[in-house]
Amino acid sequence: MSGVSRVGAEQAPILTFDKISKRYGSLQALSEVSFQINRGEVVCLIGPSGSGKSTLLRCANALEMLDGGRVTFEGTDVHAPGGDARRVRQRMGMVFQNFELFPHLTVLRNITIGPTTVLRLDPAAAEARARQLLLKVGLADKAAQHPAALSGGQQQRVAIARALAMEPALMLFDEPTSALDPETIGEVLSVMKALADEGMTMVVVTHEMDFAKRVADWIVVFDQGRLIEEGPPKQIFEAATVARTREFLSHLGWHGESIAEVSGADKGGLRQ
Amino acid sequence: MTFHWHVVWDNLDRFAAGAVVTVELTVLTMALSIPGGLLLAFLRLSPFAAVRAAATAFVELFRSTPLILQIYWVYYVLPTFSEIQFPAFETAVIGLVCNISSYNSETFRAGIVSIRAGQWNAGLALGMSRAQVMARIVLPQAAMRVLPALATTWVSLFKDTSLVSVINVEDLSYQSLKIRTETFTILEVLTAMAAIYWLMGYPQAKLVDWIHRRYKAAE
Amino acid sequence: MDIDLTPLLLRLPFLAKALLMTIELSLFSMVVGLVVGIVVGVARTYGGRIADAILGFYVDTMRSVPLLVVLIWTVFAFPLVFGHAIGTLTAGVLGLGVHLGAYVAETIRAGLTSVRKGQMQAARALGMSRFEAIRKIILPQALVRMLPSLGSLLTFAIKDSAVASVIAVPELMRQSQVVAGQTYHFKEIYTAAMIAYFLLCYPVARGVDRIYRRVAHLGSS
Repeated sequence: MSGVSRVGAEQAPILTFDKISKRYGSLQALSEVSFQINRGEVVCLIGPSGSGKSTLLRCANALEMLDGGRVTFEGTDVHAPGGDARRVRQRMGMVFQNFELFPHLTVLRNITIGPTTVLRLDPAAAEARARQLLLKVGLADKAAQHPAALSGGQQQRVAIARALAMEPALMLFDEPTSALDPETIGEVLSVMKALADEGMTMVVVTHEMDFAKRVADWIVVFDQGRLIEEGPPKQIFEAATVARTREFLSHLGWHGESIAEVSGADKGGLRQ
Repeated sequence: MTFHWHVVWDNLDRFAAGAVVTVELTVLTMALSIPGGLLLAFLRLSPFAAVRAAATAFVELFRSTPLILQIYWVYYVLPTFSEIQFPAFETAVIGLVCNISSYNSETFRAGIVSIRAGQWNAGLALGMSRAQVMARIVLPQAAMRVLPALATTWVSLFKDTSLVSVINVEDLSYQSLKIRTETFTILEVLTAMAAIYWLMGYPQAKLVDWIHRRYKAAE
Repeated sequence: MDIDLTPLLLRLPFLAKALLMTIELSLFSMVVGLVVGIVVGVARTYGGRIADAILGFYVDTMRSVPLLVVLIWTVFAFPLVFGHAIGTLTAGVLGLGVHLGAYVAETIRAGLTSVRKGQMQAARALGMSRFEAIRKIILPQALVRMLPSLGSLLTFAIKDSAVASVIAVPELMRQSQVVAGQTYHFKEIYTAAMIAYFLLCYPVARGVDRIYRRVAHLGSS
C-alpha cells in the first residue's frame, strides 16, 4: 500500500467498508473487503468482471444485505437493524449501468420525483433545481420528452442529474458507461469529470481505465471477491505491487507505461 | 312456419330493462374487482407465508370452479354463514366479484412481477420507501401492461353476467327467457336475445382488439 | 352451522355418474373445439381476405354472445333448421364445441403467426407445398408454443360444461341442483360439487404447466 497522503485525509472518512463479506448460495461474492473513502475523493473500483465490485457498491447503500462486516457512512452503520437505510440512500446518489430511468415519466419528472416525494421539496423549487441540473448536463431542451426518445448517453446524463437532484454527499456509479455506444461514452465521462472537478465524492466501478487514470484520486483493485491492491493511479497503472493487478491491466493494454517516461528495468518483467 | 316477430317489438321495454341490468352488473362488478384483484395480488406477494397461502387458496378456488356453480354456492351457502339472506342481485354481484377479482389478481401479479428489478433499485436508491416505489414507479408501469388482459376479462365478464339469470336476477337473459315461456315464441325471442347481446358485445370485442394492438407489451 | 352429509353420501353414485358425464362433455367439446379451431385458425391465417372476414365474424360473434345463449339457441334452433330433434348431450357438445372453437381459433392464429417466417421459406425451398409446410413444419411448432393456452382452454371446457345444466344435460352441475332441490341440503351438495370441479381443474392446469416445461424447446426456432 502506498504511503502517499490521500485527498481529504485530514478529516474522518465519509464511507468505510470494514471486513465486508457476501455470499450468493455457494458463491463467495465478497471476502472481508476493507477500505475507506474520504470526502472529496474520486475512488475507482477496477477488476475483472465478477470480482465483486458492483456487489460492494450495492452494499454501500443497503440495496444488498451483508453476510459479514460493517459499512459506515457519515458515522452511522448503514445496515444497523432498526436503522434508517432510506436516510442513507437519500444522502447517496446512485447511477446504474442500465440507466433505469422511469419510462412512464418525462425527463423533468424523472429528476423532480426524488426531491418532491422523498425530500418533500416544494414542486416549484424542485422543478427549478431540475432545470438547472439539465442545463448542467447539457440537456435543457429534453425536459418534456420521455426517456425512450433519448439516446443511451443522453439517458445516462439524465440519470446523473436525477441523482444530483437529491443533493447527495456521495455519488455511486455502477459501470455507468458499460451499456453505451462508444460514441456516447465520452459525453457521460465529461459530465463525471466536471462533477469530480467540483469536489464531489465519487465511487466509480468502471472498465474505462483512461478515465480512472486521469480523474481518480485513488484506485481499488478487486479480484474474485477480494481487495488485492489499492493506491494512487500512478502506482496502480505504472508500478503495481501485486502481480495479478499487473496481469489484469496488461490484458487491457496497460503495461506500466506512463506518458512522461520510459524507465526502469521493471519494463521487461511486466510484458507478457 | 309462421314467425311472430311482433312479440319482440311488444316487449322491447322488457328487453331494454334486462339489458340495463346486464350493463349495471358488468360495470359494478369490474369497478369492485379492480381493487379486489389488487388486494388479492398484494396478499399473494406478502412476505408472510400464511397470508400468501390463504390468498392463493382463494384465488385458485375461484379460478378452478365454474362461475355458474359459484353463483349458486354463494346464493345458498352465504346465508348460513352470515345469517343474512342477501337479495339475488347483491348475491350475484358478490359471486361475480369473487370470481373476477381472482382472475384480475393473476393479471396484476404478473404485471407487477414483470417490472424489472432495476426499476425497484433506482427508486429505492433515491431514498423512496417500498410503498412509494410501488405506487409511483412500479404500479403505473404495470397498469399499462395489464390493460389488454383487463379488457379481455371485461368482455368475458359481460358474457358471464348472463349466468345470474339462474338465480332469477332480472338481466337480459332472464327477461328474454321469461318472455319466451309466456308467449311460447321460441325462435323469435331467442334471436332477439342473441341479437341484443351481439349488438352490445361486438363493439366491446373490437375495442378490446384495439387495446391489445395499442398497448402491446414493448419490453 | 350444522353439516349433514348423509343425503350427499346416499346419492353419491348418482352424482358420480354425473361427474363422468361432465368429463365426457368436457373432452368431447374440447375435441370439437380443437377441430373447429384449428380449421378456422389455419384458414384465417392462410386463407385470404374473404375467408378471414367471414370466419372473423364467427369468432367475434362467439366472443360477444354468452355461452348460455349459444347453448339454448342450439337446442331450439337445430330442430327448426335441420328438421329433427337433437339430444341434450349432442346439443351440449355442439354448442360448447362451437363456442370454444372460436377461442381455439384465435390461439392457433396467434401461434401460427409467432413462428418465424423463415421457417415457411425454408420448407418451401425444400420443395414442400404450402399445405405440407403448414402441416409438417409450422403447425407442430405452433402447437408446442400454444400448449399453455390450449391447456387453459381445457380447464375452460370443464368449467363451461357446467353451463350445459341450463339445457338439462345430466352433468354434475345439473344433477347437483336436482339432488339439492330434493333433499334441501344445498350447502353440502354444492360444496361437494365445488370440490369435485376443483379436483378436476386444478391438476389439469398444473399438469399442462409440467408438460410444457418438458417440451418447450421443441417449439423455439
